[in-house]
Amino acid sequence: MEVGLRTAGKSVGRPVRKHDGDAYLTANATYTGDIVLPGTVYAALVRAPLAHALIRSVSTAAAEGATGVIAVVTGEDMIPWCDEIPHGLDAGHLGGHHSAVFPLAVEKVVYAGEPIAAVVATSEADAHAACLMVEVDYEPLPVLLDVESALAADAPILYPAWAENVLIEGHVGNDDFAEVARTAPHVLEGELRTHRGTAAPMEPRTYLADWDAGRQHLTLYASTQNPHVLRTVLAAAMRLREDQIHVVAPKVGGSFGLKMYGSREDFIAPVLARMVGRPVSWVEERAASLLPAAREQVLSYRVAFDDDGGLLALDVEALTDHGAAAPTHGWAMAYVGALSTGLGYAIEHCHVHYRVVVTNKAPWSGTKPFGKDGATLLLERIMERVAAATGVDAGTVRRRNFVAPSAFPYRHTSGLELDSGDYAAALDQTLEILSHERLRADQARLRAQGRYLGIGLGFELMPESADIPGGFVAAYDTSTVRMSPSGRVSVLTGVTSPGTGSDTGICQLVADELGVALDTVSVVQGDTDTCPYGFGNISSRSLVTGGNAAVLAARDVADKIRAAARALLRADYDEPVLIEDGIARLTRDPSRSVSVVEAARAVYTRSYELELDVEPHLESTRTYRPSNIREVPDALGRMQTYTTYPYAVHASVVEVDVETGVVTLLRHVATHDCGTVVNPLMVDGQVTGGVVMGLGAAFSEELVFDDDGIPLTTGFKTYLLPRAVDVPRVELGHLCTPAPGTPLGAKGVGEAGFAGALAAAFNAVNDAVAPLGARLDRTPLSPIAIMRALREARR
Amino acid sequence: MIPTRFEYVAPRTAADVVAALDGESRLLAGGTWVVPEMGRAESRPRRVVDLRRAGLATISVEGSRLRLGAMCTYSDLLSSEDVTRHAPLLRTMASGVTGGSALRNQATIGGSVAAARPQSDVPATLVALRADAVVAGPAGSRRVPTAELFLGAGRTTLAVDEVITGFDLPSERMSGHGYVKLKRGGSSWPIVTAAALLRLDDDGRCETAHLVLGGVEAVPMTVDLTIMLGRPLGDQELDVAAARTVAALSAPWTDVLAPGDYRAAVAAPAARRALAMARANVGVTEGERHGRRPDCP
Repeated sequence: MEVGLRTAGKSVGRPVRKHDGDAYLTANATYTGDIVLPGTVYAALVRAPLAHALIRSVSTAAAEGATGVIAVVTGEDMIPWCDEIPHGLDAGHLGGHHSAVFPLAVEKVVYAGEPIAAVVATSEADAHAACLMVEVDYEPLPVLLDVESALAADAPILYPAWAENVLIEGHVGNDDFAEVARTAPHVLEGELRTHRGTAAPMEPRTYLADWDAGRQHLTLYASTQNPHVLRTVLAAAMRLREDQIHVVAPKVGGSFGLKMYGSREDFIAPVLARMVGRPVSWVEERAASLLPAAREQVLSYRVAFDDDGGLLALDVEALTDHGAAAPTHGWAMAYVGALSTGLGYAIEHCHVHYRVVVTNKAPWSGTKPFGKDGATLLLERIMERVAAATGVDAGTVRRRNFVAPSAFPYRHTSGLELDSGDYAAALDQTLEILSHERLRADQARLRAQGRYLGIGLGFELMPESADIPGGFVAAYDTSTVRMSPSGRVSVLTGVTSPGTGSDTGICQLVADELGVALDTVSVVQGDTDTCPYGFGNISSRSLVTGGNAAVLAARDVADKIRAAARALLRADYDEPVLIEDGIARLTRDPSRSVSVVEAARAVYTRSYELELDVEPHLESTRTYRPSNIREVPDALGRMQTYTTYPYAVHASVVEVDVETGVVTLLRHVATHDCGTVVNPLMVDGQVTGGVVMGLGAAFSEELVFDDDGIPLTTGFKTYLLPRAVDVPRVELGHLCTPAPGTPLGAKGVGEAGFAGALAAAFNAVNDAVAPLGARLDRTPLSPIAIMRALREARR
Repeated sequence: MIPTRFEYVAPRTAADVVAALDGESRLLAGGTWVVPEMGRAESRPRRVVDLRRAGLATISVEGSRLRLGAMCTYSDLLSSEDVTRHAPLLRTMASGVTGGSALRNQATIGGSVAAARPQSDVPATLVALRADAVVAGPAGSRRVPTAELFLGAGRTTLAVDEVITGFDLPSERMSGHGYVKLKRGGSSWPIVTAAALLRLDDDGRCETAHLVLGGVEAVPMTVDLTIMLGRPLGDQELDVAAARTVAALSAPWTDVLAPGDYRAAVAAPAARRALAMARANVGVTEGERHGRRPDCP
């Protein structure tokens, strides 16, 4: 796509506050839970108290007679109203196994907390109270809670038709490690275990579904990331036409992947509303909101390297504890982890064998940063080990292995093609912000006093704006820009915002293209009846796809304004017109001008004064489809499925109290490059938020189960999110290598921060305890784990 | 949102509170534990007896004793000059409670004691202060040393028709106090707490020494420090106290945030740090303790 690059304008590149920030701050933002329709009734779910069991019978009689109850619906009852849920990415079509999942469990439960029946009542309290009266007779089955047990030869099979407990497996890269290792100067082996965590948005999944029996039409207000695609899959499963469904996504209180379309939870309220014929509200309980999972993997690795720390080959066996099968994209995090293993480092031989294993836990569900975190942690751990083994400084080891700026475009062994960046420059800047040399001296001095400071690095490279061939995850999106006769501008876009502010960025872009003030522009999104079909917010794509599309559309509208201005000013058809500050003036004679508002009005009201080939409307719909995606596999089966490749180098500084294992985070530095920055406030916010989320994963956020697979972390007193007191001010550095070949040069930023922070914190704690002979090869870095590592070191 | 239905009463006297209590009722103090539990339907009482109108939030000093109403919140403790003067340990404890101002304004010391959660700050602190609980029941009022109140996690010696109306504790004006809390982050409940009180005689020898740990066992764990009495408080004595802490452990408490072996491992360092803090605090005036240097105007 041939378009000129632009970097800064009146709005673009400036720290503009959120265009709708006042609404959030004054509690006037409307979330799904704020909407009440006349006659609304409330759903609550009966959830399995066992992790694996047959459902012998469900007795609903007592609940049906309870106060306020309108309906009690079992999994069986729902089948005539809803087919199995369409898969976002069906492993069964990709060499793995298909699983049939319905909104409510039928016959069997495969994880504790799985919904097996729903109660609809006139109040939320009555619905929950009646759930307690639904009697379910279960026949307990043996429980599988880790990958080793699930892969054991005598393991019970969770889905008997599969005859194994592996949902899908595959290879990325060539399996040639042994060959390279034979002649390599050094080979290291190891294992890294990551723990189960989740997305934890403040607003759980929330829905209000209104079925109009007369019109045979469903309106669904949903806290979702992808309203259009949600409509598509709802229509398919509920056997409705898409035009019978209107999905609206009001303000979303955080999503982090949890609210990607197509979970079973998406179907509860719509199906119940159709069954009972009244608007049904369903808000997921906090404990249930903490069920969907990510991150739990066993990564066994072998790495071959030379005396200078240059990596020659890497071989990874990645086992994913997926939990139960699900229709969502969750399992693809294991695939994306394999795709991005080693990315950014010039490793000629890089092979990952990934296996996605099912267990009796709630399933993996797409979670920021979508599997790239495990790959990042693994490589950054390996860099430290290689440094220790060769005696080369850890920063230098990274520098020696980084893909050099002169090497772009650089194709990684997985097929992903890196477009631009300067990774070593990011490392340099981070070390400079850190005052690394001085800090190392402080560390040595403090160690002599029995205080254990640790400094750790973490390089992250996040493939963003994903494309799934044949799937409803696309690298492109569509925006409409429309100017009214009074000069007001609406952007209708297929992308959405989970509160991140990409919509403000879109306003900035369009305002600059049209030369109008920022508050002239508003964004309409999340409405399937008014916005162009689009793919919502996932994979850090909203600004890159919807923003670029809006720029293209705004340029069309600007051209029309220019044409109108020329007509009003009696200028020649090829007379250049500059639009700025709401005024269109002739470039060669700036004294001749009209306001953009006058020009807009003229398009609608004096259309016969325009050139005949100028259609008298001020609206354009454009799609931005990046040119660097290759959906067709090459001879090795490799595709290029990501649009942009932002990166960052992080450094964490910690102090470990070796008597208690308590870690104090002293500093966190991150130098980030997301190409052209449209709004530095939003970018800093995204990176900082990602860092804090990554640090939470590193230290305290952990889903814990008892021996029977019952979740013990059911709220924020047990699933420990970091609080402000836990995290130092994140010190940010910035680089800008614009994404080549794109209108904006912007790269995705929505997943930035997490993986590098996790890796830096992990390395920092290991650095702190290394003098005591201790080593941690698993997350989280809890005081408990640290004390165990110290104890083992003393043995 | 509480799903189940219940009767709600808010009596104006302790006697009326007692009269409303039976096996199917639940006392409501600050509600920071009871209300979420009822919201999750883990507790389904037939009647909720709210203490908010029973006049139990007073703080007073009588002679050398400090009297605290059971409904005193952490904020009440923090704003009381009597508490600052006579039980600065309570002030230090209250200032570090997890949950921010919303919780400090709501949660009560009586509620925390009655809930008897091993991972709460208040029980071990009151035991260290040798507080008596004043308990009202059908037969009138009785006093129970808080050390004898706790039977296990969530279990006390209180009968179903009894209510803690307040606490009565000796002034610790002359003691140095130390309070150490280990936790897993800002949102974590305490994992281990150590409360220490030390008083020295004119020769700098230890006159009284009290050390109670919370979170390491199901009930507050008192460490007998008789051995330290009459001795100067050197580092060696603190090591001895730490060793006695380890010896006192019998059944470490485990919950989702930390297993017993971790609590056992960190009990001694927590104890030693609390005692070191108390030692450093002995003879420090209230002004200094709260960061105001005496020579400042």
